[in-house]
Amino acid sequence: MKAPATFRYGRDYEIVQRLRPEPMTERELNAQSLIEGLDFEIFQHKAGMVALEGKETTMRLGASTAMRWGDVAFGIYTARGDLAVCATGIYHHAVLSQLPVKYIVKHWRDDPSVGLAEGDSFFFNDPFYGGVHNADMGLVIPVFSEGEPVCFIGAAVHTGECGGSEPGGMVNGAKSRYDEGLLVPPIKIGANFLLKEDILAMLSNMTRDPRTMMLDIKARLAACRIAERRVKEIIAEKGSDFYVGALRKILQMTGEAARKKVARINDGVYRQPRFMDTTGPDDALLKINLTVIKKGDKIKLCFDGSSPAIPDRPINSYFQGILGLAMVYFCGWFCHDLPANNGLLEAVEWEFPEDSFVNAKGDMPVSYAPATQVAFAQGMFMCGARMIYALEPARAVGSWYSGFAVTPFGGFNQWGEPVADITPEINATGAGARPDMDGVDAAGAFFATMSDCGDVESMEADRPFVYLFRNFFNNSYGHGKFRGGSGVGYGVMVHGVPWLAIGGMGFGTRFPSTLGLFGGRASPPVFVQCVHGSDMKSLLATGSAGLPHNMGDLYQDAPLESGQRTLGHVSSPPQLYGEGDTLYVPIMGGAGYGDVLERDPERVMADLKRNMVTPWAAEHVYKVACDRDCRRFDPEKTRALRNEARGERKRAGKPYAEFMVEWSKLRPSPETLRYYGAYPDPAGRDAASAAGGVAS
Amino acid sequence: MGFNVGIDIGGTFTDFCSIGDDGNIIAYKTPTTHYDLSVGFMRGMRELAKRCELAPRDYLSKVHALRYSTTVGTNALIERNGPKLALITTAGFEDTIFIGRSRSWADGLPMHEVRDMARISKPAPLIDPDMVVGISERIDCHGKVIAPLNREELLAKIQLLVDKGAMGFVVSLMWSFLNTEHELLIKKIIEEEYPEDYLGSMPVTLSSQISPKAGEYTRTMTSVVNAYIHGIMADNLNQLSSELRDGGYQRPLILVHNTGGTKKVSRTKAVLTHNAGPVAGMYGSLAVGALSGNPNVVFTDMGGTSFDIGVIVDAELRAHDFIPVIDRWRTNIPAIEVKSIGSGGGSIAWINELMGNSLEVGPHSAGSMPGPACYDKGGEQPTVTDADLVLGYLNPDNYLAGEMFLDVELSAGVIEEKIAKPLGISVLEAAYRIRRLVDARMGQEVFNEVALKGHDPRKFAVFACGGAGATHACGFAPYIGARKVVVPAVASVFGAFGASTMEIRQVWDLSRTLKLFRWDQQHYLEDLESFNGIVRGLKLAAIRDLKLEGFREEQMEFHLELDMRYGSQYNLTKVSVPRLALQSEDDVRELCDSFTRRYSEIYSPEAAFPVGGVNAECFYLSASVRQEKAAFRKEAGGGESPAAALAGSRQAYFDPAHGFIDTPVYDWRLLKPEHTIHGPALIDAPETTYVIDRGWTYVMDAWRNGVLRRDS
Repeated sequence: MKAPATFRYGRDYEIVQRLRPEPMTERELNAQSLIEGLDFEIFQHKAGMVALEGKETTMRLGASTAMRWGDVAFGIYTARGDLAVCATGIYHHAVLSQLPVKYIVKHWRDDPSVGLAEGDSFFFNDPFYGGVHNADMGLVIPVFSEGEPVCFIGAAVHTGECGGSEPGGMVNGAKSRYDEGLLVPPIKIGANFLLKEDILAMLSNMTRDPRTMMLDIKARLAACRIAERRVKEIIAEKGSDFYVGALRKILQMTGEAARKKVARINDGVYRQPRFMDTTGPDDALLKINLTVIKKGDKIKLCFDGSSPAIPDRPINSYFQGILGLAMVYFCGWFCHDLPANNGLLEAVEWEFPEDSFVNAKGDMPVSYAPATQVAFAQGMFMCGARMIYALEPARAVGSWYSGFAVTPFGGFNQWGEPVADITPEINATGAGARPDMDGVDAAGAFFATMSDCGDVESMEADRPFVYLFRNFFNNSYGHGKFRGGSGVGYGVMVHGVPWLAIGGMGFGTRFPSTLGLFGGRASPPVFVQCVHGSDMKSLLATGSAGLPHNMGDLYQDAPLESGQRTLGHVSSPPQLYGEGDTLYVPIMGGAGYGDVLERDPERVMADLKRNMVTPWAAEHVYKVACDRDCRRFDPEKTRALRNEARGERKRAGKPYAEFMVEWSKLRPSPETLRYYGAYPDPAGRDAASAAGGVAS
Repeated sequence: MGFNVGIDIGGTFTDFCSIGDDGNIIAYKTPTTHYDLSVGFMRGMRELAKRCELAPRDYLSKVHALRYSTTVGTNALIERNGPKLALITTAGFEDTIFIGRSRSWADGLPMHEVRDMARISKPAPLIDPDMVVGISERIDCHGKVIAPLNREELLAKIQLLVDKGAMGFVVSLMWSFLNTEHELLIKKIIEEEYPEDYLGSMPVTLSSQISPKAGEYTRTMTSVVNAYIHGIMADNLNQLSSELRDGGYQRPLILVHNTGGTKKVSRTKAVLTHNAGPVAGMYGSLAVGALSGNPNVVFTDMGGTSFDIGVIVDAELRAHDFIPVIDRWRTNIPAIEVKSIGSGGGSIAWINELMGNSLEVGPHSAGSMPGPACYDKGGEQPTVTDADLVLGYLNPDNYLAGEMFLDVELSAGVIEEKIAKPLGISVLEAAYRIRRLVDARMGQEVFNEVALKGHDPRKFAVFACGGAGATHACGFAPYIGARKVVVPAVASVFGAFGASTMEIRQVWDLSRTLKLFRWDQQHYLEDLESFNGIVRGLKLAAIRDLKLEGFREEQMEFHLELDMRYGSQYNLTKVSVPRLALQSEDDVRELCDSFTRRYSEIYSPEAAFPVGGVNAECFYLSASVRQEKAAFRKEAGGGESPAAALAGSRQAYFDPAHGFIDTPVYDWRLLKPEHTIHGPALIDAPETTYVIDRGWTYVMDAWRNGVLRRDS
């Protein structure tokens, strides 16, 4: 591989490699002697409180959906850009949001035309540095002491609209990064404690919802300024050397702690290939070939054998975004008892193939990178569960729903104001099942653990929707000895406006996105329904009974609602919906854990009573017999059904080699494989090599 | 002579405070009788009578008001022993309370539990899922009916719920706070079907009446919690009222509300009694703050397991909690905010081996059982109280006025084993670190709470209450930046004291979106009646309610506040409105400007965005009844020298530089106003120990409150 570029007038490929903490500076090193145990422990808590105050403030002031429901990361970075202290539930930002800061240090700090001074503020949204996609925007300020920058403070949040060629921050039809809207590398947007109005005018003018853009920028900045005051108070009390050294020490200790935790895990090679069913605009098979090699105190993530990059489809992801999602698993599950910062990456190594859609380059669009990243994260969950089972079996859990069904929209609201955003139900997925209990129903989003899905009334207050329902979806989760947590389904009708553009971002329609663990079942595939020319408005007005009240109802009897009904992929370009048109979206549940035949029939009965499992699944999946009307459990018949099912499995079983002979004859259609790479191994190796020789 | 009495029931003790017309204060504590709270309650009343040298009946007959902050409702939630309720909601939203805005698993939990994603769980619901039915109907965001209520469907579903054993109905429909038509109709139908003269008559709780606020989850949960605890509270309080009447008390029992006021039992919504004790404590801070000239107060209460924090600004309780959590449920009551963190005397110190053997204190607590190691009840983990004992602050032979003996050897043993040895330091050094660390964390938490409300914490006086407040105040105050700490004379029963001083007050609230300044048109609201009509309606409701309590309109005072926001922000900023009616566009402009001023104060001017549009989202009209403030009896000064109160000395450790030093110990009961004590020193009081650090000076004021000042 050639040396990475450091070209300023384009993308800086060198800076994005610097995910781990920078080498310790002389000042940081010298300051270590100043840091006494107790003072450091007190400092750690104070720094955490500063970050928490910043996060709370950002959330309170912001306006976009993600901001409103808590999808915020707020942190304190060292003077060289490493994130030492972070308050967030979107843990990928805990390791990714440092890159723009390192960019500022590298390119602007010493540049006479830009420079770095007290009172400056910098904005960025180029996903190359943020790691995910354009809708993730950040703002960072330097903090000075005695004329020297001692740290940076920053806030990163998903602002729902970024001026792409489609509304809502994610561009299904993007052919290159130039279709995806604002593409701002870290730039100075304020100096002398003043935001530059001309730049704000430009940024807001380039999006569909200028008010939200402005409120979100101001929210980030106000929070940063408050945190700046707090940091200066710490420095006034403890001195800047102590402060600089203590920030560094947090990183150092986090790295050491992460390595200690990793070292406790059994060495081994853990594999979990992941598949996706879309490139964004078209159905196709893609593979993320995840191999996790655990050795000593390091975990290495390898992606050799993943599908090639697709230059003109938005499904590509930057490698740093993939690593960011690995840290979601680390921070929330594996290392939940450690600080969330990029010191964690001291325990992680990685290897990405040059030509792969998990390692986007050049002008490739990346609007749908979140889908690719969560697809990978599901593999991380599964490898993680296997890795830590021997250590902490209670934490070897099934994956939360790891597909996506996001609904971006844009237009005008019922008050005549422009709006463009996403609906918040992505924060209502089901959690994965556990070794001793079911997953939590409608738990949230695994990648944004402090976020929620808000109230429907809050949505309807300034979005032109009437929700027809928002309830659990009993066909949304993976079955198992313990089932995944249920997701929700919601239906909306466009209301109070003549039209609204609505699209879809996600994957997992052609086959499941979220696999079960240790014999548990996957969450089912996900479909979106829409009805154009719907008569829903008049059905409501006439008080019709029998309208759908949950997602399951849509698949039961013939619908009352008439119009042009479409059942489609969750990934779709925006279409215009007229007033009264309807859209129905499932937000899926978590993965199952263990064999369905081992599920306690009482649990199945309880789910039946709550309508959390369908009678069909109770009978055909769990093999539980009951009187359908009175819901009385029949233990004898259940035992017989389960014995019969086990017998059937034995009959269907065959030696592995025999299975492989038959399996290898199967092959998806050429159209399905057109973006896949060579089949079965996208890297083009022969089948024997692709199968691998090391047991996982 | 008459008395005002406050009663505050806590997890361990029930506190009583009686303030005579002569200003004399009598305090009493007795163990809480969980099996029947009235037993402890009546025992306390007898003891107060005894201390006033009156027969119980005579005493009770002379009581002007009994103000009670009760935990009956809270206990019902914890024990989940409420009635079998049914919920009627809009069809399509039957799972709203179970979805819980998805993150209800985190509500009411400390951060360390919230971060452990693999083990999260949602709380057991208050209503069984099969007791929830959806009714075909729909109202939109303008309050317009877009789907009529289906009567036949409703009747069938009511029957279904009754057959399943419903003991009460909660009705919560989408947008019902804007248009109550359907909720009222459902109530009417239920009452027609099950009229009061039928045995099957059941209470019907409407969300639009309990909580007319936006947000279907919080509105529904507020109504559910209210309905869940209503019956239990009513039974319990009616029984207690009867006992009091039989005992000679002539007036209605008054309940403390978490909104910062009090109302008669018969005029109280049950949900407003949750967490009233700390709010009463804040009210006590107001009273003592007024005496000592402290309008800006941080109220703190450090007990065995928790550390409560509340903020008073300009002598007013105005910091309302945003969607407060009751038990594990988000609600939208306009409660005064009291934050509780897991730091107390029972907080356990431990070594975080992963993070480089760093010392941690909490979040786990030894609680009261087994409690700190020094209690000798089987505690094997070092706690903050153990550290306090090892450092010599606590008198092992006279803890809690001699009610408990402490074993210093046990404390030293666990600190040595669990902390000192692993860190390679002495037991004393370890105890010192534990204390410093917990003090720092509490102080930093307080700082954050005050700062998040847009105030400079350094300008506040700290009120230190609770059993451990006086012991740690000099330790945590520097982390707030406070130079003045007040330890109230009745700090150990401060909730009861506060309750006894509270006024009749209630808040009437209503969600309504009014675009005071429109972003798309850049002009101010012209339809002033849309604003004035809302306020008028709230005022009429308040007058009607207070008249039913027996007050005249001339006695009432009203104060209006608005929740406001820019554009499509989610969070709201509360703004005080000086007038109850808008007369002109200038008034609207001034209202918008005052919002921007307040917003800028809290979040910095850079955050303000007035051109983005300004909305009023919720109206709060508080109505209070003018009453004479209680007068407290002053005590004559005794000069600066506290020599007469010197009880002896103890070896105490304040810092490594000085090691153990012989420290004077004063008897609080012998101290007199004006007595001045320079730290380091200790004061043994009946229910607490004052630790006066080096650099601090203690002066007792005329009301026996301790005022500690940090030397400059």
